[in-house]
Amino acid sequence: MNRILPIGLVAVVLAAVFAWWLFPDRSYSWGIDGSLPPPAVPVDNPMTDDKVELGRRLFYDTRLSVNNTMSCATCHLQALAFTDGRARAVGATGQFHPRGAMTLVNVAYASRLTWANPLLDRLEDQALTPLFGDQPVEMGMSGRDQEIVEMLRGDALYAELVSRAFPQEQDPYSIVSVVRAMAAFVRSIISFTSPYDGYLRGDNDAISESAVRGMDLFFSERLECFHCHGGFNFTDSTTHANSRVDRIGYHNTGLYNLDGEGQFPSDNTGLFDMTGDRRDMGRFKAPTLRNIAVTAPYMHDGSIATLEEAIAHYARGGRLIEHGPNTGDGRRSPFKSEFIRGFELTDVEQADLIAFLESLTDERVLTDPRWSDPFSMSETATP
Amino acid sequence: MRISVCLTIICLCASCAEPRVPATVIFAAQYAGQSLTCDAQHGVPALTDLRFFVHDIELRAADGTWSTLRLANDGDWQQDGLALLDLEDGSAACPNGTAEMNAAVTGTLPDGDYLGLRFVLGVPFDRNHADPLTASAPLDDSAMHWHWRSGYKFLRAGLVSGTDGFWIHLGSTGCEGTVGNIAACRQPNRARIELADFVPGQDTVVVDFSALLEGTALDDGEASDCSSAPSEKSCKAPFAAFGLDFSSHRAPAGQSIFRVVNR
Repeated sequence: MNRILPIGLVAVVLAAVFAWWLFPDRSYSWGIDGSLPPPAVPVDNPMTDDKVELGRRLFYDTRLSVNNTMSCATCHLQALAFTDGRARAVGATGQFHPRGAMTLVNVAYASRLTWANPLLDRLEDQALTPLFGDQPVEMGMSGRDQEIVEMLRGDALYAELVSRAFPQEQDPYSIVSVVRAMAAFVRSIISFTSPYDGYLRGDNDAISESAVRGMDLFFSERLECFHCHGGFNFTDSTTHANSRVDRIGYHNTGLYNLDGEGQFPSDNTGLFDMTGDRRDMGRFKAPTLRNIAVTAPYMHDGSIATLEEAIAHYARGGRLIEHGPNTGDGRRSPFKSEFIRGFELTDVEQADLIAFLESLTDERVLTDPRWSDPFSMSETATP
Repeated sequence: MRISVCLTIICLCASCAEPRVPATVIFAAQYAGQSLTCDAQHGVPALTDLRFFVHDIELRAADGTWSTLRLANDGDWQQDGLALLDLEDGSAACPNGTAEMNAAVTGTLPDGDYLGLRFVLGVPFDRNHADPLTASAPLDDSAMHWHWRSGYKFLRAGLVSGTDGFWIHLGSTGCEGTVGNIAACRQPNRARIELADFVPGQDTVVVDFSALLEGTALDDGEASDCSSAPSEKSCKAPFAAFGLDFSSHRAPAGQSIFRVVNR
């Protein structure tokens, strides 16, 4: 007995240490219930509350732009589900991005990031493009890595946050730390508390009868919406900690057809820009539809202003543009997805569908102080 | 086994014994025969950027064999056979640049006479697609990393004349896989440059923007750019200048962008 007890104790301690080592985000809670899988997290960047808090500061810090005019939050506003309401995003020096800022809500579940870049599957890598990219200039820090590092070093608040977030690092003041913390913060923005989610959990009154009818339409073969906007995150490019396959979908929805052969405007050719394969012309990722009612305008280039117009585009089976440089009938594009076949809706059905889409708006994620601007609350930390 | 070990030792000794001498290849930028800087002089366009990577630099000895210019590791511009050239100084028209410049690659060659230079414009595949966050100099420069294309800009160059201008970012495109885990790139776009009449110590290698802009009017008021996309029409002429075939993205043709100029 005397000998077994210590051995048992050692075994328990070893098991605990092993579990601690195995699950580095042990102390982190995603705030989701057991019916949903947790997001996948890169092994070299486990989630911690301290890292998320550092990332939140960085996300809202305008000193991360070349002229101190913009932070990540300039294009990703919480009230708009971390979009900016613009058709195309604008960088620190006024340059327009060809595409619109995407929502960051539930981006932790995105198998690929941005509108059509198959190479980007980690937020840590993606963060480098807005920070350092120069075609177009977003935050404009190209070649200014050291400035960012020195800013962190010289700021008392960051000194504390950085050391707490990266206690193991010998020199935690680095761009690696910056993008890891920002990625952790963005990954933490999880939304599964919309009225629709309440309905799924058994609260029949969480959404209106109209929204229930709209839900049935959404998931019908008649409308085909769910083929691309399916699953718990309403996009087919979804991955999570328990995923066994790399699910990724890019689709041409017949938005453009400039030459009758499927051409898209040259600054936005979608996946084609990355692969050079003509069959990839105009293929973009289906974005999540969560919070879609607050993320207008729609499509990669913001060329559709309202949900009504977006539905009309799909109902027609492709967009007809009759005037201007983008004239053409997207319905006839040879590259259009097989799921864009068109449908007819009554006015009531259209209203039902929109009621359903509106039920995907999660007021909590739009207002939760955990994801809000920390600088607006503390005088001392204002840069 | 023993024989190969002996051979190795003999070879090592031979190379130890072989006297090596320092050698330098100097680069400069020109347009229409005139030197380019970030600060435009009268009638000459201004550089907005000129930075590029070279590796596998070799010189041809009198007997026709090629000798590798063994680069010194300076922990900054040169590392493991790869060098970053930087011909902009961050002033005037080059606000995205750096004050530090590096106009030459330096290393050693076996003692002898040389006529002819060749090198690859680009970054070797393995290093091109390794994690940029942990890369060491000269690959630790965020201005040279092409974050969304997964590799580096082999060359970033630009010119401005009044309101008109041109810039190019050359690098691998059509890469497959994910960042940090790239399997291959459909268009590697590494340019093999050979300059038959280059004499080290006597000649300068000129980056000739006239060749880069062949067929592009610099004063038509329309700025143009090339970011190496396979379909980008504005890339056709500059790719030809690099000797890169625009449709196949191999390098069958002669390049015209690098020229030899007697110092």
